[in-house]
Formats: sequence, structure tokens, C-alpha cells
Amino acid sequence: MKSISNIFSVILLLVLFSGCGKDNFDAPESKLVGRVTYQGQALNLRGTGEAVQLQLYQDGYEKNDPISVFVGQDGTFSALLFDGEYRLTTRDGNGPWVNSHESVTVNLNGHAEVNLEVTPYFTISNEQLSVSGSAMNASFTINQIVPDAKISRVMLLLSKTQFADDVNNLFRQDFSDVTPGSVNLSANISGNTEIAKAKALYARVGVLANGADQAIYSPVVRLK
Amino acid sequence: MKKKYVIMSMLAACLLSTTACSDFLDQQPDRILTDDQIFNDKVMIQSVLANYYGRVTWGQHVADWGGLTVLDEAAFCNGGPDHRSTFEDNRWRVYDYTLVRDINQFLKGVRETTVLTADEKASLEGEARFLRAWYYFNVCRGLGGMPIVGDEIFDYQTGMDVTSLQYPRSTEAELYDYIISECQAVYGMLPEEKQINSARANKWVAKMLEARAAVYAGSIANYNNKMTNPIRTDGGEVGIPADKASGYYQIALVAAEDVIKNSPYQLQDRRVDDRGKNFYEAVCVKDNNTEVIWARDYKYPGQTHGFTSNNAPKSHAEDIDNSYLGGVLNLVEDYELVDTQTPGQKSLIQTTINGTYKFYDSADEPFKNRDPRLWGTIIYPGAEFKSIPVVLQAGQLVKNNGEWELIAGELDSKDANGNVLTALNGPKESNEQYINKTGFYVRKYLDETPSAGTRGRGSEMWMPRFRMSEAYMIAAEASFELNNGRAAEFINAVRNRAGVKPLETVTFDNIVHEYRVEFAFEDHRYWDMKRWRLADKVWNGNNNDPQARHRRLWPYRVVAPGDPNDGKWVFVEDFLFMSPNARYFRMQNYYNFLDLGWVNNNPKLVKNPYQ
Repeated sequence: MKSISNIFSVILLLVLFSGCGKDNFDAPESKLVGRVTYQGQALNLRGTGEAVQLQLYQDGYEKNDPISVFVGQDGTFSALLFDGEYRLTTRDGNGPWVNSHESVTVNLNGHAEVNLEVTPYFTISNEQLSVSGSAMNASFTINQIVPDAKISRVMLLLSKTQFADDVNNLFRQDFSDVTPGSVNLSANISGNTEIAKAKALYARVGVLANGADQAIYSPVVRLK
Repeated sequence: MKKKYVIMSMLAACLLSTTACSDFLDQQPDRILTDDQIFNDKVMIQSVLANYYGRVTWGQHVADWGGLTVLDEAAFCNGGPDHRSTFEDNRWRVYDYTLVRDINQFLKGVRETTVLTADEKASLEGEARFLRAWYYFNVCRGLGGMPIVGDEIFDYQTGMDVTSLQYPRSTEAELYDYIISECQAVYGMLPEEKQINSARANKWVAKMLEARAAVYAGSIANYNNKMTNPIRTDGGEVGIPADKASGYYQIALVAAEDVIKNSPYQLQDRRVDDRGKNFYEAVCVKDNNTEVIWARDYKYPGQTHGFTSNNAPKSHAEDIDNSYLGGVLNLVEDYELVDTQTPGQKSLIQTTINGTYKFYDSADEPFKNRDPRLWGTIIYPGAEFKSIPVVLQAGQLVKNNGEWELIAGELDSKDANGNVLTALNGPKESNEQYINKTGFYVRKYLDETPSAGTRGRGSEMWMPRFRMSEAYMIAAEASFELNNGRAAEFINAVRNRAGVKPLETVTFDNIVHEYRVEFAFEDHRYWDMKRWRLADKVWNGNNNDPQARHRRLWPYRVVAPGDPNDGKWVFVEDFLFMSPNARYFRMQNYYNFLDLGWVNNNPKLVKNPYQ
């Protein structure tokens, strides 16, 4: 009798240990990395708050909700996925670029790198950002990429972390009547006591086009 | 022998099989009622309808004080900072086709029943169809066009082809048209007279929904197409063509004027000497109310809410809770000074003059000469609640070696000479509960009934959904957009009742401003800012923007014996530490996102923009 129950408990243990094989998958391990680019150059974006997203679709399955891919502030993104064929596209209306529903096909087998090319309304170059005394000074060039795009506002930003954008900042000042080309702007920061107190200070400028939901930024510069 | 057993067992089996089905275990379910049981009983029919009235409260409402902190009207004061900034993709989203199916079953039952007269049937059908239209309206203002299923009652049997149950989205214009036509259809079915506590729909309620739906549709047709990138989908599920605007405004004007001219409601105007109280009573007191056309009513016992106990000033609290909500300066400043040179616009509060404090004779001086609706909406320092002044004092302004210095203490503290240092009501900078942090309380919906502020009883305060002044405002807005020269006539009816200067000419900004001060906390602001496409401009996410971020105004009493300003009051304005982030309305917030689960179940649903 005792040996029978022993045999049963061994069988039971076997069942318990082996029973979970069928419906469990290994975690996805294949890595997709890439950048959002214009003419091969990565764009500088808002990297916080899940603000800029791409979408990955995999056709041929019953459900068709996309996988969201979050873009960092230097325009890079990455995702861990199962091997397979995906379509990578921008999210509708999202990002400082012309809305497009075109997609890039990605064949993922272990590792893949992909650049998603977009057409931004503007780009920023030659940026010189500094803080001196009670003023933040910025000189930079706004390059018009889309001929009929208009500037809604230009933002001067200071942050105490390396994440600097329209929402994450210590200081933000908006300028509305700015035209593309070479720009010199200065903001009075004397009213903001936290800037002097900050142990580290990062600066950035952003340009928001009319009708866009996100601004395009300059690279983040560390000032102190 | 053996044969005998076989026969006996066969006999036994026969007996058992005939008796086993006695109904001793068969009972009628007492929780599921059949259609016959309901629709052959007048009282049951009414209670089913009552159930639907209980399921149609969406958006900002009085039983959800937290919802009032989402916009720029009041701030969260119950504990530490509230980091809210962006709006959720499903903020105040409504999607409840179970309700539609239930209402459609009800309609079928009412139409077929024999226990009701034709008039009774018409009236009940009108109410049910109105509630369905109200549901669709709440869907449409969040999501845009969604499937219209009419009177269809869907049934699913295992194995059937589900594609026949999958309806595509209607266009936004089609859904507004459907709401308007349903309101027009039930107008003749519903009773004419006022209802008890305005709790049930009558024909004027349907007319108001028609007017509101039309003015919403008109403004989307108008203002969406004035954006640089109008928000729309290829199939029109979102976005209305610009050429439809004037038609909608026309419908809105006609409907609103019908209510103004023919309904039994009036702008409540009973206290010429105390217009603040008059406004409070018009919105918040049910007895003899002439103003409120439709409300979510509450009644003790059973149907009460905790707004008064949660939000009463600490000095007036009847239970543990108090001071959850603090009014923000953003709203207070929008109530213009009565003698302003620029009527119909905000009047800023001056706190400094020539580099020093501006001294006021009393704590309520900056507020008491403002639009009386301020008194009826916000409790400002020194204003009365239940005839007892609400003292708000953050601290004292004292002279220290000839220099002014602000000092503050614990709540309800006094200085060495027995003068109040910090009042029981604060305001005070703290992460603790039950402390006011903005310098203002909210008066709208605060119930003066004794023991309404206790947890045990709760408040019966209603939440008005349609008021007479909205009929005037819709007529004013539609007239302004149609440019028929009558906007001033309508808006000034509202302003005269309120007790502010009439406008000679009306601008769009005047209309925006009037809605803001008249309907604060009444579930208007969010939808108004969306339909005018102003939300992304005003709530721009800039933490240094005085409109986008909550601000506070703290009163300090001057204690400087011998100084000419001794005993006066100064005010200190600042961004509210409780709201470290400005409100940030992104383009994607103009329409809610569709849940991807719905899209998976029904692939005919088109996703919304930015999704």
C-alpha cells in the first residue's frame, strides 16, 4: 500500500513539473534597434512621457493591435520581440514630421537594425546655448524643410536632469513670432530661483510647427 | 426467483422515473424577472426606467470630487502634490452598448404592453429614447462618431456569423444628426410640465439636448476646420465639414429660443440685494427652483454623496473629512470686477504696487466687488458659509527691523499677543490631509442642510445638467456665429441676472469667458474647450504659464502696531506647489482613443487620429 502511494506521489510530482510546458513561451529575445532619421541624421525629440511612439504591426494574426515602440530623446528606439516579419510605422499624427502612413518592413531574426526616415517640418543646427547671469542665451539655425510649414513657437528650456523638453524642465520660455533662419534669443531667468540652486544644468531649444503635436529639439547640452 | 427480482427492479425504475421530476427543486428564480412580469406591471416598468436614470451620469460630476481637479477650476488639497499634467486617452470616455441594448429591450416591452394607456406609453418611450440620445451625446463628444444601432436588440447564438453584429462607426455629423432627430422625435411625446426636482426628462430637457448637441456640432464644423491640421479621419468618423456649421447653429438657436420663450423655466432672480446668494440658490437649492431643467437628483436615504463632507471648510466641518478641494486663483480672477472698464473679461488681482505690498482694508476686499457669481461659486477669505465667515489667513506680515516679513505658524495658532497667526482653515504648505492649500474653498454644490456634511448621512445636493442660463448662452453663441445681431440680447440676460455690466458688443472671447464663470464645475469647461479647439492653446503644458498651471493666493494679516497699515491685509500669489505640473492637453486628447479590444472584436471600427 505504502509503495503504491509513493509511486503516486512521484507521478504527481512529474505531472506538476512537466505540466507547464505547453502554454508557456520563452520571453522574446530578438532585438530590434533603430533611429528615427532625416537624411540619415537621427532627430532630437521629446523622450519622456511616451510622447513619441512608433508602431509595430505583425500581419496574419487574429488580433491587430500594434506594439508601441517608444522613441528616446536622441531619436533611438529598441524593442525585444519574437522573430518574424513586422511593419514599422509612425503613429498617426504623432511627431514633428509630416504625417505619413508608409511603413518599413523589418525581418527580424535574432537582431535587426532599422532607420525610419521621416520628413520633419524643421530641423535645428549650429546651436550655441549658454546661461550668463540672469539671462539664457541661445543662437541657432532653424532649417525649413517643409516649404509651407509655419513656426508655432520656439521654446528655450533649462533642466536639472538630462531630460529636457516642453514638459520636463526647470524653466521654459516660449517665443511665438520667430522665422526660420539664423535665430538669436534671450530669456530672463532671474525670476527662477531653482536655476541657481541646481547642481547640474542642461539646456535645449525646441521648435513646434503649427499643427504638429510634438516639437523638434536640439541635442541636450550640459551647462554645469 | 430471478425473474421476480428483475420485474421488481423494473417496477421500481418505472416508479422512480415518473416521480423524480416533482417540482420540489424547481423554483422560479427570484432575481431574474421575465419580460411578462415586468411589462405587465406599471410599477415594475417605472423601476426599470429608474435604473437607466441611475446609469447615465458621466463626466465631471458632484459625486466625484476628484474629477473637479482635472481642469483649471480647483486643485487637489488632500495630501501631497498631485502630479497630473496630461489628459488620459480615455478621460471621461463613454462606451456602454449594454445600456443601449437594455433601453431597446425596454422600448420593445413598453410598445407591446397592454397595461398602459397610449399616453403613458408615449411618455415612457420618450424618456427612454431621450436617455439613449443622451448616451449617444456623451459618446460623441468624447469619441466622435460611433455605431448607431437604432432599436435593434442583438442576440448571439453559438456558432452564428458575428459579422452581422459588427456595425461600422457613423460619421461624427451623422451621430449628432441622430441625437438631434431623436430629441425632435420625443419632444411631442414627453410631458410639458416641470418634474419633481427636475429629475426626469420632459420636453424641455429634450429641447436642451437638441440645442446643446447642435451647438457642439456647429462649433466642431467651424473651429476644427480653422486649425492648421484639422483633426479628422478619411471616413468622417471624426471631423465635420465646415459648410454644415451654419445649419447646426440655426438648429441650436431655434431650439434654445423655444426653451427661452415657451418653457416654464426662468433665470432665477429673486434677490436683487444679494446676487451672489441668488446665484448659489439658482444652482444649488432645489426648493422652488425655477432655473434647473434637468438634474441628477440625490435623496436620503440611499441616494446621497459625500461632496459636502469632503469639501467643507475645516471650521465648518461636521465630520472627519474637510478641505479636499481648493479653488484656484485661475478661476477666481476670471470673475470680473463689477465696475470694470472691460466687461466680459477677467480682472487680475493686484498683490503688489510700486515694488511693495498692496494693502487691502479687509480680507475680502479684492473679491467682494467682483461678479457676484464668484460668491456663489467659490468661498473666498472672509466670505460666509451658513452665515458664519470662513476665515482664511496664511500668516502675518510683520515689521522686522523696518523690513516687512511674512511669518506663519501651525493651523489655528496665535502669536504672543493673542492675534491669529495662521487660521484654522489655513492655507498652509503641507503634505497632510484636511488642510486648505490654495486660499479658496469651493462653494458650488456645498450643502447648507444640517448634517449633510457627515459621512453617515451624506448630501442630497443635486447636479444640474441643463439650466435656463445655458439656453441663453447657446442662443448667444449661435447668434454670434450666425452674425444675426442678437448675441448681446441673450448674453446680457445672463449677465444682468448675475449682476455684472451688460456688453455692448459681443466677441468670441466674451462668450468663452461667460461660459467659464457661469458653468464652473458643471461639466461644461472641458467639452467647451475641446469643441472650440482652444484646449491645446490654453492648457499648453508650460509650467511657467499662469493659465496652464494652478495658482494660489494666500492672505496675510498685517500686524505692525504703530504702522498705518496695521490690521490691513496683503496677498501673496504663487504657482501652487500642490500642482507642480501645468495642464497639458495634447492634440491626441481632442478625441478619446478607441480601446483596441473593441477594434479586435469589431474590425469595422476605425481608430481615431493619433492612435
